[in-house]
Order: sequence, then structure tokens, then C-alpha cells
Amino acid sequence: MIDAATLAQMNGEYVMPPDAGPAWRAAAEYGFDMSLVEDALQRTPEQRLELHQHALDMILELKEAGEHHAAK
Amino acid sequence: MPQNDKALLSRLKEQKVEFVIIGGVCGVLHGASLVTLDLDISCRFSRENLRRIEATVKDLHPRHRLTANKLPLELTDELCDSLKNIYLNTDLGILDCLSEVSGIGDYEQVLQQSIPHSISYGEFRILNLDALIAAKSAAGREKDLDAVRLLQAIKEKNDQQKKLL
Repeated sequence: MIDAATLAQMNGEYVMPPDAGPAWRAAAEYGFDMSLVEDALQRTPEQRLELHQHALDMILELKEAGEHHAAK
Repeated sequence: MPQNDKALLSRLKEQKVEFVIIGGVCGVLHGASLVTLDLDISCRFSRENLRRIEATVKDLHPRHRLTANKLPLELTDELCDSLKNIYLNTDLGILDCLSEVSGIGDYEQVLQQSIPHSISYGEFRILNLDALIAAKSAAGREKDLDAVRLLQAIKEKNDQQKKLL
């Protein structure tokens, strides 16, 4: 049986780390997905740059596809 | 138009351009989960350094992206002495070169507030986190202020970890 808290997390609820300070809480409350930042901070700067490049490539591909579709 | 920051950075390194990575890519290197569509650097605006930038992008069809006719990058000594910024579109993406950064100052001040960062294709200097926060705060656009919120959270986390060491 999955408890309500676990289910909420499965559904995307962010669990604030116990050591989260006011700036971290403010950023989370503002709407940033702080789990992505936690993940990034576990990585090396080079890995962060590579992930960024992948995200950027995907965005630009989608943008190009959208422009191509709109031109039809 | 692709944006290949790795290739642009490698080329800048190969040509021995004096520069500091600023802007969104700097934020990414610090751990911010943001996507940025350009590469911003601050650099020394000496004739020699600007010629190195020109050599970096000379085969990439560089154009001044903010000019009405997208003028090609063709530096002369006179132009080098007049330019304060260079906003380029190239075959590897956008490269914006700034002589001054709001909230920090000129290149010497940017350099003083930078830290070395080593990645497999070279060692680069990037703005330290405090300076990046100052620059983004001074820029003041909504997207910059969003980034400030995130960068402040990362700074807080870094400070906590330093205290634990």
C-alpha cells in the first residue's frame, strides 16, 4: 500500500530537504524544480554543460520543427 | 541555427582569447537548471584580443547580429578602438562579447571576480557565484531576476556545505 505522501511525491510533489535555507525554499516556492538543481549539483561542471547542450539541442529542434510546421 | 557552446569555447581557447564566461552558461556551470540560447563572454577589448576573436570565428560566417543588415565581422584597427561590445551570429551559434558587465565593471574587474574552471577541453575562467548574482541583479530583466532566485539558492547550499567541511 502506498502512503499518501509517497503518492504525492510520485505525482511530482517536491520534498524540501531538511537543511533547506530560506533562499532554497523561496526558489522552490517561486516554482523552480529544485530537484533538477539538486541533481545538477551532484554532477561535475562539464556534465552540467553537456546536459545543458542536450536540452538546448532539443529546444532548438522543437523550435525548428514548429517553424517548419507553421510555414506549411 | 545550432548553438554549440563547447565548440565555441574550444575555439576561443585555441586562439588564446582572453575572456571570462559570464551569463547563462556561467550559471549552468554553477549548477543552475536553466537553458540559455547564447554564449556570453567578457573579454579584453584590445586590438590583439579582438583579432583573436575574429580568428576564432573567421570561418563561421560571423555577422553583427544586431545590425540591420547583419554586417559581417570585419575588424579594422579603427573599429577595434571604437567597439565596446560585439554581438555575433556564427555557424556555431551566438557569441556575445562584452567589455563591461553591469553590476561588476570592466574586464579587469570581471577578471578579478572570476574563478578557474577545468573541463576536458581546457581551463576556463567563469564569474564567481557572488559576481554572477550581482551581474544578473543589475541586468534586472525578469529572466535575470528569475536566475538570481535560483543562484541565491545554490549559493546558500554551497555555503552550507562549506560550513560542514
